[in-house]
Amino acid sequence: MIEHIVFYSLSTVVLVAAVCVVTMRNTVHSSLFLGLSLAGVAGLFAALGADFLFAAQVMVYVSGIAVLIMFSVMLLGRASDLHLRQVNEQWMAAVLICTVSSAGLLKIARAYCGTLAPSAPTPDTRAIGRLFMGEWLLPFELASLVLTAALLGAVFFSRSEASR
Amino acid sequence: MTAPKPAPAKAPLPEPVLNRKNGILMADRRWPTDQWAHPWSLPGYRNGALMLAGIILGILGGGALIGELSKWGDKLYALMAAFATAKGISTVAVDAVWVAIKVLIVLHVILVNGLWSIWWERKISAHIQSRVGPTYAGGFHGWAQTICDGIKLFLKEDITPAAADHWVHALAPAIVIAPCIAAFAPVLFGTDLAAARLDVGTLYVFAFAGISVIGVVMAGWASGNKYSLLGGLRAAAQIVSYELPRGFSVVPVIMFAGSLDLSVIADAQSGYWWGVAPRWFVFYPVVGQVAFLIFLIASIAETNRTPFDIPEAESELVGGFHTEYSGMKWSVFFLAEYAYVLLASFLLATFFLGGGGSPLPWAPFTLVPSWIWMLSKAMFMMFVFLWVRWTLPRLRVDQLMDFNWKFLLPWSFANIAVAGLYLAFWLK
Repeated sequence: MIEHIVFYSLSTVVLVAAVCVVTMRNTVHSSLFLGLSLAGVAGLFAALGADFLFAAQVMVYVSGIAVLIMFSVMLLGRASDLHLRQVNEQWMAAVLICTVSSAGLLKIARAYCGTLAPSAPTPDTRAIGRLFMGEWLLPFELASLVLTAALLGAVFFSRSEASR
Repeated sequence: MTAPKPAPAKAPLPEPVLNRKNGILMADRRWPTDQWAHPWSLPGYRNGALMLAGIILGILGGGALIGELSKWGDKLYALMAAFATAKGISTVAVDAVWVAIKVLIVLHVILVNGLWSIWWERKISAHIQSRVGPTYAGGFHGWAQTICDGIKLFLKEDITPAAADHWVHALAPAIVIAPCIAAFAPVLFGTDLAAARLDVGTLYVFAFAGISVIGVVMAGWASGNKYSLLGGLRAAAQIVSYELPRGFSVVPVIMFAGSLDLSVIADAQSGYWWGVAPRWFVFYPVVGQVAFLIFLIASIAETNRTPFDIPEAESELVGGFHTEYSGMKWSVFFLAEYAYVLLASFLLATFFLGGGGSPLPWAPFTLVPSWIWMLSKAMFMMFVFLWVRWTLPRLRVDQLMDFNWKFLLPWSFANIAVAGLYLAFWLK
């Protein structure tokens, strides 16, 4: 019973906030709702008993990525942004891509629809660490290689033209 | 040339009114600054030293009588459970009430800490600057100063600027304080004395402490003021940057302890080398000290305190992100700042200073309950925070970023590598 209340209220928060991200005219408000939506996803992880994912989601997405997005929006935002059109001529393609990917996700998720998740948090940090350092070492290292490449790219593009 | 007019006859000065309040002639009353000529010749000063000794002895004696607080908690919970079974109430209700009690206790730790640490900061800053600070409010060294300030702040007008974004402006203090209170959930106040025992405790505290920057950025943007916006942007850049060395400096501690759970980390530091020196992580050669210093510096930067206070630099940005706040909303920002200082002090005590463990393995020290040791260590670290704040000048923005990215972060990585060597060859 409590699990249902928690799940449906958190899902409402996530979905309403996600809709607000795309409908709000003010981009700063959008970025704030993005933070709320990501925090709601963290709450869903917590409700499923995934404690490490919960903390990592809050740490990386809510207090890292959402803040960086707010930072750039505030730095680059102009008052005239409030009067721009909210859709451009490519909205058809966007709707199409969203429909296809949602259908795909639904098909994948349906297999696990009836599975009950443990509601009490099960400590899983140690297991995740062992998997990262053992069975999934190669994907893990590849992901960090991609991040290093992104970092180097940022350094390259932020240098001035003369010093390149 | 006219002769200078003769000065008008002055009325004779009235006799000085001698107020005999408290039996003291007000005319003879000394100013507080006069005491600095020969402080130890004053009876008040000697009495103060005696009083301090009495307070310390009283805390130790009282602590020895009370014993471990976690046992009292267990007793209270057992009492509630017995009451519930007698009345046929479900255990879910008992747990809910128990959680509510713990939340209230932690909340009051934060509130009382606000009263205490603001007064303490005023006194310490005053003595560092050869002043005496609050003296009159309440009588004893101005102990009631924060209470009076709180009443003043409560009565002040709550102003929202016309250019402000009303909702975001009003919500910002709440977004700052709410994660701060949540971050206290796994914090250890003594051996096994925490509101929640989380397996990911360290990660949880850092994650929630990081959310507050959203509130700061909201406050800066929603005030509709360029100084506030600059302060908010500076805060975002600074706090997000300093989170990295702060997190990485704790990684050696986590490696040595083998867990993210704060109470496991504290227990891993029990025991003594050669029967004397405590096995605290701060005493692990080189790695411990480097990690401690990086964590201390990054924590000071996270709380926006003086060597790193560019988000609210008074001489550049008026007040930074809280320029346009007044009354209770303003004071909530400061409650959160002092709560974060307390959080960092408890984390330093847990990660590096052995948690609730006694520094020496002999009888009078080991009899003191763990929560008193924890509190003493945390208060010592809070003193270091205040000391640093009132000693060092403010850094410039570029110096601040260079210091973080080119000094703290590389050295925290090197520290992790050396900690790995320790684990491989020394600690096994």
